[in-house]
Amino acid sequence: MQVEINKISEKKDEKAVIHIVTVTDEIQNAIDILKNDCLGIPVTNDSETLVCKLDKIYYVESVDKHTYVYTKGNCYKTKYRLYELEDMLSVDFFRCSKSMILNIRKIKSVKADFNGRMIAELLNNERIIISRSYVKDLKRKLGL
Amino acid sequence: MNKCKIVFYQTLMISTAILVGLGIQEIIGYFRYGIESFEIEWYIPITIPLTALLCSIPSILIIDCEGLSKKRIIFRVIVHFICLLMIVSGCGYLFKWYSNADEYIVILIEYVLIYAFVWLASWWFEKKDEVKINEALKDLQDNE
Repeated sequence: MQVEINKISEKKDEKAVIHIVTVTDEIQNAIDILKNDCLGIPVTNDSETLVCKLDKIYYVESVDKHTYVYTKGNCYKTKYRLYELEDMLSVDFFRCSKSMILNIRKIKSVKADFNGRMIAELLNNERIIISRSYVKDLKRKLGL
Repeated sequence: MNKCKIVFYQTLMISTAILVGLGIQEIIGYFRYGIESFEIEWYIPITIPLTALLCSIPSILIIDCEGLSKKRIIFRVIVHFICLLMIVSGCGYLFKWYSNADEYIVILIEYVLIYAFVWLASWWFEKKDEVKINEALKDLQDNE
């Protein structure tokens, strides 16, 4: 693959443009690093420690001072607190309630619910509530 | 600050709804009863935004309903409806919007219509948001 780098003067103009035929695992890793400064977050499953890739994460939930990372079919525990993950997972993720961060790319559709909140149906058919006060964050992330 | 903003916008919306209600009342009075003039006391105009402000304060009851079940939210909405009814009745008595039972019934009907209008308007905006968000999500969704 050819790599072309152009040095610029303004940090705000920094941008990466990738011309590809298909997104391979390696290219997805590169995209994750460029977007989020990290490939994944360290999680534990029973006694095993692994790195959960960002594109696999559906949502992160904080319950009783413990933080859990949910993928399509699994649930892992992480040592990070929700506010720390909110900084790490800045792109494609948004806070949907006081105790949850949701991956926008895993939302299949949203439906307006009672009293200004929204129900997000995820790609694995789970339903998550987006609180009224966080709907504007979702709109902002989507550029609306 | 967010709560102050919500109270402010609620005050504007309720004031508008009261003025529209009053306007419709006078149109009906003109075409049905031939009432050609509309006289009000000097203090009546200021009572409208004042009442709207008092009516928007109980909105704090229904702003932050995170984590509450639909049943509890509906209960809060009923309490909200009753609080507002008491405020409208009290302000109506204080500012002499009505002087007998018949006029009070007219005020009650207008109150119910205005309450329904505000909820319908909110629901309409939320439905618009739902469509916009779903449209924007189509470009971002992962293929799974």
